[in-house]
Amino acid sequence: MARFHQLSVTDVTKTIRDAVVVTLKPVNGGDFDFIQGQYLTFRQDFDGTEVRRSYSICAGKDDGVLQVGIKKVDGGAFSTWANESLKPGMTIEAMEPMGSFHTPIDPQQPKNYLGFAGGSGITPVLSIMKTVLRREPESTFTLVYANRGVNTIMFREDLEDLKNLYMGRLTVIHVLESDAQDIDLFTGRVDADKCKALFEHWIDIDSIDTTFICGPEPMMLGIAAALREHGLTDEQIKFELFASAQPGRLARRASSSASGAAAKSTEATITMDGSARSFTMDKDQSILDAALENALDAPYACKAGVCSTCKCKVLEGEVEMIANHALEDYEVAQGYVLSCQSYPLTDRVVVDYDQ
Amino acid sequence: MTDTMDITDYLAQGGRLTNPANVPTRYRAELMKIMATFVDSELAGAAGFADVINAGPGIKERIAAARIVLEKTDNADKVLKLMGEFGANTDRYANHHPWSDRLPRDTAPGTTRNAHDMRLSVLNYPLDGWVDAVVMNLLMGLAVDVQLSEFLTSSYQPFAEAIREVAPREQRHTELAAEGLEKLIAQGETDAVNQSVAYWWPRVSDSFGSGVSPRSDTLKAMGLRHKTNAELHDTWVEIATAALKKLGLDRPAS
Repeated sequence: MARFHQLSVTDVTKTIRDAVVVTLKPVNGGDFDFIQGQYLTFRQDFDGTEVRRSYSICAGKDDGVLQVGIKKVDGGAFSTWANESLKPGMTIEAMEPMGSFHTPIDPQQPKNYLGFAGGSGITPVLSIMKTVLRREPESTFTLVYANRGVNTIMFREDLEDLKNLYMGRLTVIHVLESDAQDIDLFTGRVDADKCKALFEHWIDIDSIDTTFICGPEPMMLGIAAALREHGLTDEQIKFELFASAQPGRLARRASSSASGAAAKSTEATITMDGSARSFTMDKDQSILDAALENALDAPYACKAGVCSTCKCKVLEGEVEMIANHALEDYEVAQGYVLSCQSYPLTDRVVVDYDQ
Repeated sequence: MTDTMDITDYLAQGGRLTNPANVPTRYRAELMKIMATFVDSELAGAAGFADVINAGPGIKERIAAARIVLEKTDNADKVLKLMGEFGANTDRYANHHPWSDRLPRDTAPGTTRNAHDMRLSVLNYPLDGWVDAVVMNLLMGLAVDVQLSEFLTSSYQPFAEAIREVAPREQRHTELAAEGLEKLIAQGETDAVNQSVAYWWPRVSDSFGSGVSPRSDTLKAMGLRHKTNAELHDTWVEIATAALKKLGLDRPAS
């Protein structure tokens, strides 16, 4: 099960106006020997609400440091805090590195990589780029990096340095949405058409072995479509999509208005796939079994409280969860339960499988 | 480049999800069910096969059977790890159920699954000796190959990647079964082989589930499935019939 470890912040550096690079050092163990392209999941308490956010490691395997890039998102509690309040000397909690946005390194095998990054999507791509250029001396890397304008390009100087270090093996193409460039092709958005044009004039797509894409959803779709059209297989196209693009969920505590009545049955309302169904159920029946009995296609797998497939949220009333081997304390605090292990305590319960 | 789009549209257009943090709730539920079905089937398959290792007539056969047990268990582990990233308790999961449990041999074929695990229904039936195990392994192996082809393009990228590692090994298990069967037939076991084919054919056939599942459109829209159960079933009938023919056997009527 996922466990959090303490990391001490050794450095916080601004890379552009609204993004920081945070350098971390494990304090009390945990295996933080990451693979290029992996991410860390942090947790932080904001006024009693735990917020978890994942950020990609931007360091290469041989940089000798553990670094993540955090771009401030409008209204984002964690990213704002990281950009404004995080200081060296502070301690922060994270899980061990996770993610499979990488391919195996083989120094003997020369490969041609093509990376696409949109905005802060550069972080994992940068980690991969640094690592393959260093560890695969014959491989090349072409980066297409989409940004709004020159002043929002994260790691601009680092990329220049890398270009000089790996002369002839690293090509960086900046595509800017609003700032005009000498070459028309490098202005605008990176979509399927832009990719086609790039493949015609600048990138020998037939020579590419592996591509990495990290950016906003529409951009990734456009790029992937163009790559597939040019004969690349799913195996050659690696996506990385982050939660930061999705709005953070507001954690609401289930109202636990326990009533003392000792009725044997409960009025249950269960929401699934957007529609709610109400029925009467026995208190000695699990929420899951009652849902299934009432022809609701509720999700489940193990029925033993270990897999967490049947997770749902109690919005009203109270249930007793007799076993829980999967949910974490913070999830339980937010009102989540394992429906296969949960029995109604109150005469009315409202449960939602969609949250 | 900060514009986002609705995750449903993104998936419908072939987008990929890459970690638990960006997975919508209902998608999570369907994905977990698919992964649990895979893990439970691999664990149940391995557990069933473990019992027949000693029934292997020679060293080579016993090595093949042991390898199948080892690799199926390892395949389960790969996908269970992904379930762990979604919160499943992987240690407990591996032991929460007696995976070697089977129904009586004469239980009629049926698609209703055991209430306490998600294994494919065919894995509820017991193996009856070496010949029977090899036959089951061939027919089921071909079904697994067809079913796994669905997951190679799963919209959950880590799962698709795990299956890419798993699929060639499963294919090898099927090849081992075909080789084993060829040997058994050469040794004059044709009658026993035919009996087992008659037993397993309808049971493997049923494991594809009903032709029309109300969920199949939802799963398609989520990019978790692409073909219907019926389409997969027909593909299996085709390749299984051909495989039997290659061995000089006929497929049973049902």
